[in-house]
Amino acid sequence: MTGITSPRPKFSPPEEEPRPSPRQSRAQRIARTALGRHPIGIVFGAPYALFIAVLFAYPLGLAVWISFHSYFFAAPGVSVPRPFVGLANYEAVLADPAVRQAFVNVLIFLVINVPLTVMVSLLLATALNAAIPFRAFFRTSFYVPYVTASVAVVGVWLFMFGSGGIVNNVLGPLAPTPSWLINQNWAMPSIAIYVTWKQLGFFILLYLAALQNVPKELYEAAEVDGASWWRRFRAVTVPGVRPATTLVTLLAIITGAGLFTEPYLLTAGGGPNGKSASPVLLMYQTGIEQNRPDFASALGILLVIGVFLIFGIQRLLQRRQA
Amino acid sequence: MKPPVALAVAVTLALGLAACGGQGAVPARAAAKAHGPISIWYSNNPQEVAWGEQMVAAWNKLHPSEKVTGQQIPAAQSSEEVIGAAITAGSEPCLIYNTAPAAVPTFEQQGGLVPLNDFPGAVSYIQARTGPGASVYKSPDGKYYQMPWKSNPVMIFYNKKIFAKAGISPTNPPLSTYSQFLATAKKVVSSGAAKYAIYPAPTSEFYQSWYDFYPMYAAESGGKELIANGKATFDSAAGRAVIGFWQKLYAQNLAGKGSYTNDPFADGSTAMAIVGPWAVATYKGKVDWGIAPVPTTQGSHGDQVPTFSDAKNISMYVSCENRATAWDFLKFSTSIAEDGKLLSMTGQMPMRQGIQQLYAPYFKANPAYKEFAAEAAHVIEVPNVPNSIEAWQVFRNDWSKSVIFGQERPDSVLAAESAQINKIVAGNPNAQYGAP
Amino acid sequence: MTQTPGTAPEVAATLADASAAAAEPRSPRSWWRLIVLLFGALVFLFPFYYMIIGSLQKHADTSLSGALPQPGNISLHNYGQINAALSLGKALINSGIFTGGVLLATVVFGVLAGYALAQLRFRGRGLLFAVMLLLLTVPFQLLIIPLYVLIVRNYGLGDSYLGMIAPFAINSTAVFIFRQFFLQVPKELFDAARIDGAGELRVLTRIGLPLVRPALLTAMLLTFIGPWNEFLWPFLITKKQSLQPLAVALANYISTVAGVAANPYGAILAGAVVLAVPAVALFIVFQRHFVSANIGSAVKG
Repeated sequence: MTGITSPRPKFSPPEEEPRPSPRQSRAQRIARTALGRHPIGIVFGAPYALFIAVLFAYPLGLAVWISFHSYFFAAPGVSVPRPFVGLANYEAVLADPAVRQAFVNVLIFLVINVPLTVMVSLLLATALNAAIPFRAFFRTSFYVPYVTASVAVVGVWLFMFGSGGIVNNVLGPLAPTPSWLINQNWAMPSIAIYVTWKQLGFFILLYLAALQNVPKELYEAAEVDGASWWRRFRAVTVPGVRPATTLVTLLAIITGAGLFTEPYLLTAGGGPNGKSASPVLLMYQTGIEQNRPDFASALGILLVIGVFLIFGIQRLLQRRQA
Repeated sequence: MKPPVALAVAVTLALGLAACGGQGAVPARAAAKAHGPISIWYSNNPQEVAWGEQMVAAWNKLHPSEKVTGQQIPAAQSSEEVIGAAITAGSEPCLIYNTAPAAVPTFEQQGGLVPLNDFPGAVSYIQARTGPGASVYKSPDGKYYQMPWKSNPVMIFYNKKIFAKAGISPTNPPLSTYSQFLATAKKVVSSGAAKYAIYPAPTSEFYQSWYDFYPMYAAESGGKELIANGKATFDSAAGRAVIGFWQKLYAQNLAGKGSYTNDPFADGSTAMAIVGPWAVATYKGKVDWGIAPVPTTQGSHGDQVPTFSDAKNISMYVSCENRATAWDFLKFSTSIAEDGKLLSMTGQMPMRQGIQQLYAPYFKANPAYKEFAAEAAHVIEVPNVPNSIEAWQVFRNDWSKSVIFGQERPDSVLAAESAQINKIVAGNPNAQYGAP
Repeated sequence: MTQTPGTAPEVAATLADASAAAAEPRSPRSWWRLIVLLFGALVFLFPFYYMIIGSLQKHADTSLSGALPQPGNISLHNYGQINAALSLGKALINSGIFTGGVLLATVVFGVLAGYALAQLRFRGRGLLFAVMLLLLTVPFQLLIIPLYVLIVRNYGLGDSYLGMIAPFAINSTAVFIFRQFFLQVPKELFDAARIDGAGELRVLTRIGLPLVRPALLTAMLLTFIGPWNEFLWPFLITKKQSLQPLAVALANYISTVAGVAANPYGAILAGAVVLAVPAVALFIVFQRHFVSANIGSAVKG
């Protein structure tokens, strides 16, 4: 280690002393117990803590507050009545058919996206996990959609899947009418497939890392036993990466719950009959476009509760499996 | 150790106090008399931008101490959200030359608009310029929060070449009754002259009804607004007729059902469009167009058919500090000269009485615009009621399911929407869901 | 320290290139492997290829043959068109400032926080960590509306770079990465320096920073993606076109003005290519520098 020749330390004596020297003042000893052994940690963490407090905790509290009041944005300095309305906003949210449709849409999205993501990324990661030529090329190609802005890629997909786009031209008579993104039954699945494709690179890398932890001996033992590739996959790989699968599932759920850019850009305004609206899109429409942030905040909080519920269910299922 | 901690605490306190503070309102009485530089927004339509720039330049030459800065309105899916957000932030300009009448109730509710009655002589100025039609733009409290500026009477544009190809007369096509219109539409599509007969945007933004349902409802009902005296009017024979008409068009695939990026009338995939004169610039050089009034069941002829105005007005906003200048500039930009320039540069109809006489040379040179000018005398406006945007959104929400995809009957849709809308305009927008 | 996966979203995607040592030996099956991967790569890369082709087309050609570059239909006209509509240069600069600001704040304050969370014992450490995890799970959109009021009205930061950067300033995922990384560094290294009498700041700068460099690169690359591609927040905050980052400008173009252009899709795709190229290029250049940083321990039970 590079020698750290220190001039006499300016502050208190080094913190890692085996026992407090009698020279330490009482104030310093109190400070140490009250603030922990390394109080400077508070200073290091302070900017981050401040950031969280101001830009996360406070807005979160404000969102909760707004959801219990009748609130709309007014010009600065204009005072408008903002009465407390209890659960009225929540009732309104739950009674709105557009909201229900949006939650159904998210469920459709998750049902398609999560299993597809898990299966395809695991398969591709397994395929990638060997000494094959052009490994770096393949890995990069899977990652490219992930690092590209959705706004950019959406343009291509609109171009490809539009009514006169190349996909419909290739499919010919098999193409659905109306076309994909304006078709009530195909709008949300199209978005689900798009997002799956886009995020896959990230999850492939997660699985690749997890696969490193599966002991090679297990594979060799299975091969000695004469197991086929599929059997090896099911018996060794899948259980071996279970923690990663949990992580992948959770991340996919969080992404699905927060879906906004894709419905906004791919199917402007919520799609045919609102069949591709997402809850966050509705939050944006009601909160910002229609100036009803009370409704939007209530919707947002219900969304977060929903996500935590899904987490909880997943945890329960996991525990029962184990 | 201690100094950094103390510093952090101090910073937090300061930020917290700053958060409790925030901007205050501009004191109205002082501002009403103040002169000085102001800023304005105008539409991002290229012709209006050109008009706006020359107008601002002309003013700045005459009033160097009261400079006006003009800017295009920031782009978004609707101008209402941009302006609403700016009002909230206190960052909106003094004047916005793109204020939709449907949004004025919302901006009023936000406390974002300056009543023009504050300025001496304003009411008489407005009424002298626009005539009796101006009273529609008064708010429920009787004041003018917007100045009626320009209208775009919505009419039927048709592509003369496509009609000729389909064997329909390009100078006098049969489009005045519903049955004639449907027959013409069928002929166009079945002859292969165009893929669709007409193609209004089928998407669900709250304003889309202004370009399919509302102009025809205006015509069919003889000039009724969507809501009158706080009650929806469209659950009626006229409303049902209009919805039935559009249902037929969609059911027979005479109108396209999917959203689009390119303008289908401009690129020839549809034979007709239902739009106002602002679109003429888009079609220049691409389509040889003719116009006709929107159809009705009975087929009243000529320019007596009411239609939707698609007006855009000018409002003054509360963040304005130099309101006297703003009011002077408002008058300057709506003078006879500037209205004439607006007409010749953009083709949109200034809401001024007697434009056909005042600007006779222009109409002589552009005879097609005479029809628009004549229609401009028979337009109706969106109702000036609270929560009007929510009301229009509710109206549009069922359009896709019931009309475009024909999954609901007209009478049940109209009845349900009518009930909802009555609740909305009566008070709380959440009232539609049973909230108090 | 084990990490329950249920509370660790957005963990660093890192990978040991060195341990590419095959998990399975070479076999005839490797041909199948190659075919599957090739097919996958094709599916993944085709839209990008098509994006480039489409941006170069003079007239939109959506037929199958249009997927191949047609000599007669190639022009850079679309780039000119989107540049006229959006001023690509200014938008790119705005994206750069936005992203750069976030990177700077994240590196400076994130390393500090990550180090503190990992190696220092102080009151409130557990609380800070717990809140950080909570932040990672709550969707940003819930906070958007109050944040908008807070930043635009109370702090008056509407239409400013600071307003854009603020909610993203310190990327919590990066903090998490730094923490995980510093956890892996043996305590003895730091203790030795402390015994020598160095203050904590010096310990961090002399010992911690050089060691953390690999994680730094990973965290920076990940942090880069967010603001560069972020659309909703800058869209809300900046209404002045001169301040809008490229993602926002392009999105506005897609939703509103595109219909008027001669070849709207061509122009959109040209803008998309300009938006995509820097991010992709950066990743291709740096992807070999991804190094393993506790991804294994994070995904273990």
